[in-house]
Amino acid sequence: MAASNSVLGLYDTPNAGADAMDGLKSAGFELGTFDVLTGTPYPEGAFGEYVPQHRLFRFPFFGAMVGITLAILFTAGTQLAYPVITGGKPILAVFAMLIIAYELTMLGAVVATVVGIIFESRLPNLNLGAYDTRITEGYIGVVVECEDDRLEEARGVLQTAGALEIKTA
Amino acid sequence: MATTSLITDAPDDRPSNIESTALLAGEGRTAAGTGLKRFMWLLAALSVIGFVGIVFRFINDDGRQDWGFYAATLAWMLTIFGGAPMVAIAPALAKANWVRPVARIASLGAIVTAIIALLMIPLLFKFPALTQFSEVLGDDVRRRSIWFDSRDYAPHFWNVLILLTLALVGIAMAYVMAIPDFAAIRDHGTGWKQRWGKKLARGFYGRPQQWEWLKMRIGITGALYFAMLLYTNFTFSLDFAVSLVPGWKDSLFPFYHTISTFQAGIAFTIIGVWAARRWGGMNKYVGHEQMWSLGKFMLATTLLWFYFFYSSFIVFWYGRSESDSATIKLLVSGPYIYLFWTVFFLVFIIPWWIMIWNKVRDSVWGPPIAAFIILIGLFLDRIRIYVASWSAVPDDLELATTSILQDMPDTMWPDVFDVFIMVGLPALGLLSILLVTRLVPLVSLWEIQQSRLITKPVRFLRSHVQLVGKPD
Amino acid sequence: MQQRRILDEFTVNHELLRGNLATPKWWLPTVLGLLVVVLFGFTLMGIMFNRGLGVTGLSRPVYWGLFITTFVFWVGISHAGIMISAILRLTQAEWRRPVTRAAELLTVFSLLTALFFPLIHAGRPWRIFYWITPYDFARGIFPNARSPLVWDPFAIGTYLTGSTLFLYVALLPDLGVLRDRTTGWKRSFYTVASLGWRGNPRQWRLQTVAGILLSALMLPIFVSVHSIVSWDFAVTPAVEGWHSTVFAPYFVVGAVHSGVSAVVTMMALMRWLWGWDNYIRPEHFDALARLLIVVACAWLALTFAELIFGVYSLEAPERALREMQMFEWPWNLLFIIFFLTGFAIPVPLWFFKRVRNNIAMMFWTSILVNIGMWLERFLIIVPGLSRKQPFVFTWDSYQVSPLEWGLLLWSFAWVMMLMLLFSKFFPLIPLFETKESQVFTTDVQIGRVTMPAVIRELD
Repeated sequence: MAASNSVLGLYDTPNAGADAMDGLKSAGFELGTFDVLTGTPYPEGAFGEYVPQHRLFRFPFFGAMVGITLAILFTAGTQLAYPVITGGKPILAVFAMLIIAYELTMLGAVVATVVGIIFESRLPNLNLGAYDTRITEGYIGVVVECEDDRLEEARGVLQTAGALEIKTA
Repeated sequence: MATTSLITDAPDDRPSNIESTALLAGEGRTAAGTGLKRFMWLLAALSVIGFVGIVFRFINDDGRQDWGFYAATLAWMLTIFGGAPMVAIAPALAKANWVRPVARIASLGAIVTAIIALLMIPLLFKFPALTQFSEVLGDDVRRRSIWFDSRDYAPHFWNVLILLTLALVGIAMAYVMAIPDFAAIRDHGTGWKQRWGKKLARGFYGRPQQWEWLKMRIGITGALYFAMLLYTNFTFSLDFAVSLVPGWKDSLFPFYHTISTFQAGIAFTIIGVWAARRWGGMNKYVGHEQMWSLGKFMLATTLLWFYFFYSSFIVFWYGRSESDSATIKLLVSGPYIYLFWTVFFLVFIIPWWIMIWNKVRDSVWGPPIAAFIILIGLFLDRIRIYVASWSAVPDDLELATTSILQDMPDTMWPDVFDVFIMVGLPALGLLSILLVTRLVPLVSLWEIQQSRLITKPVRFLRSHVQLVGKPD
Repeated sequence: MQQRRILDEFTVNHELLRGNLATPKWWLPTVLGLLVVVLFGFTLMGIMFNRGLGVTGLSRPVYWGLFITTFVFWVGISHAGIMISAILRLTQAEWRRPVTRAAELLTVFSLLTALFFPLIHAGRPWRIFYWITPYDFARGIFPNARSPLVWDPFAIGTYLTGSTLFLYVALLPDLGVLRDRTTGWKRSFYTVASLGWRGNPRQWRLQTVAGILLSALMLPIFVSVHSIVSWDFAVTPAVEGWHSTVFAPYFVVGAVHSGVSAVVTMMALMRWLWGWDNYIRPEHFDALARLLIVVACAWLALTFAELIFGVYSLEAPERALREMQMFEWPWNLLFIIFFLTGFAIPVPLWFFKRVRNNIAMMFWTSILVNIGMWLERFLIIVPGLSRKQPFVFTWDSYQVSPLEWGLLLWSFAWVMMLMLLFSKFFPLIPLFETKESQVFTTDVQIGRVTMPAVIRELD
């Protein structure tokens, strides 16, 4: 379903923002089609909002696997390709390989996690939709994605909760 | 924007608010009943067997190598019971609230250190002297020890003194932390408990100044205990293991020893929490939050165990000098290789794999399983270290003159008396703690009260959160 | 004492973006001054590449001198960031909030600086490529994975990449704020850099989880980096004083000691230069000083172990080295300065609450620590090398050349210049952490007393 409109109501207190969220819920807007935008993190569920699920914890495992594979290829490969004994160590010196394997495993995990954070945050998305710069100044934005036929209803609900301004994009 | 305006009161329906803690103080663990008594009788019987083991150890004494398992058992007990009180103080210094209900269980470990100090005495007679062969080699030829040019009584006297000081500081700390509870027993208990409560409370009536003093004393004894624990591990691990092996020079070893003390202390506390829930009727006071937080620390110390082990190992492995290689062989790849791999799995791989899962750490069954595995693993680790060290040098002359372990000893196996000792002494330690809990409540009443006072469930807009006060 | 002030988001933006939306008067002259020193440093490097390493004081048998000391020093400083950021995040310490960004930044820039030193120390830095990259299939010569010197690039590369990404992820919400406060090309830049941050619950939740998860991943890296640096020395049995098992944790704890001290120095400067009195408060210095006392004591215990085991072996060369390190001129003077500045002066002072809450005192004591910690590395690396070894046929004592001192100076100017450049484009104190702190802290009334309280989410 492609939402055609994004409507934003701007509120000056968190209480009003929470009221708007309540209003949207009781007006029958589907969970996940409306959201609260804030300039600071609030405790989860403070606005009665839909608590999103994420799968971030899978990413580091995947990254770690890639990292350790690369590390084994690098360390085993270079030693086997140029097999010269140094310092009396065996050609496949496991305890030395372990150190490089450890670093690359962690590197893979970190990089994959960061990719995961960006992906799970649904970024990058340079189209902000209905937005107001005052949100990063402490105002609370409540944004609804809806079809044309529910646009007026959404505006009405946002207005009832005491919106300072309503924007559509 | 003031947060306060977003907060509204929520009904306080925490279970600990429903039951009067006075009941707990007066009657102790009524739920435990006869089962606990039977268990204590069993421990007493095992302790007797332990003493029988010691007596026969004296009778069948062919030299230092016979005492390895005894030393390992004491080292294991020190690892567990010496480390446990750290759990009571370290998070408390960082103002962590979750530690309050488990602080008592953890601090009681200190009682056992006094027993270890006494049990250590037979071992001291088995120490090689610093200058045993002075008439042959001259006075300046000494075996390597951190006591350098001290007199001959040096390791013996100081070790007893250090361990007794640790025990004293630990017991003082546990006592100070229990004073308000003794006052509660005095006010709500009956019979002999009330009499003892009155004596031990020493006129504590909860005046502001008394609380100030209490806080200060806990802080001072806690800091002292930490310093003493580090120092005890330093001397104990060097005198009872490292310095008995020619060529073993490992500046990290005392810290490795200390880290496993923390690991074991946390594991012991986790099992204590589990037992207090299972048999002590403490489900309302200790649970998920404690398991979750202790579990995180146990995971951290498990990783640190590997880090410390590997940091030593890689230096020896790269060094490849004769003494480096002999050290690796003695402790890792030689007579105790199978033991080493068992330790490696029990202390590191298995608990690590269990504890990295959030769901396991958040359960009341996961951390105790990992803790139990760790304690068994650390026992084997202490056997690996101490039995190997005590079997390394039958010849004291070699200890004073060479810096390389020449003859690799064979694998030592415990005889029946060693088994008696390995079962009996830890049982004695556990028994002593259980005896003390007849008088002292298993969870700290005043800390739970304070925890209730400064935490409060509230509503924040539409969500339920907890407000946690941070007193200075 | 209640030091927290209630600030709305508008004020927080206004005050913390002071250096970004406007340029302080002192900024340009300072940056230009530093640039001069930096250019001077690059010139010295050019001279060294052109003339060869003979222009330094390095000579048989001391081939690792000031450059390697400074390399270890800056890697040590880099341990500030993750220590503060990760450990304090994991333990939910509320006072971490204004400190994290600066600490992470210090990690990134000091690592970048540290990297220079082994490169220039090699004399012909472009050849480093052969040393770490498995590309030369024609000759069949590959990097030696068994050499600790190959571990370093992997460890530092991982740490640098990880901490840069860590810094960037935590910067996203603040970039959103900057996007909303700027116009023109700056706005376009921040729009792209913030990736379209809107501040919905999903993004905030991921931000919180990311902070914890990345901290948990970065901590083991942080421990490994300085351990691996320490193994450059410790796995070498040939140099007295180096072959010690305690080196790994000893270096890590020493690094935390110097790194956290460097954060203190930096926070004092930030408070003075940008006037952020509402954010960087005496209570933060107090907390850092308490942390430093613990770290410094742990460091002292490890130092003690390192020294005592040197003597414990009862081997003549090792004893002779210790004697030289501590009692022979000029090492004895350096040793005394090292011990006084690294521990004996600052730590007892930090026991006094008045000192901990006095920003000028904290500034100067933290600088003392870093003087001591630089000397510590010097005393570990150089004396062991300057002793006569079986296969050394000529030897000379090591004299640090003016060029080397110049490059040491360069490294400080370089780090400071990078910091100031960063401060022009990005906020040095995390805005969202500050705002979060306003939401998540409050006061609670118990009887007649009001005490600070934090809001904890229930699971």
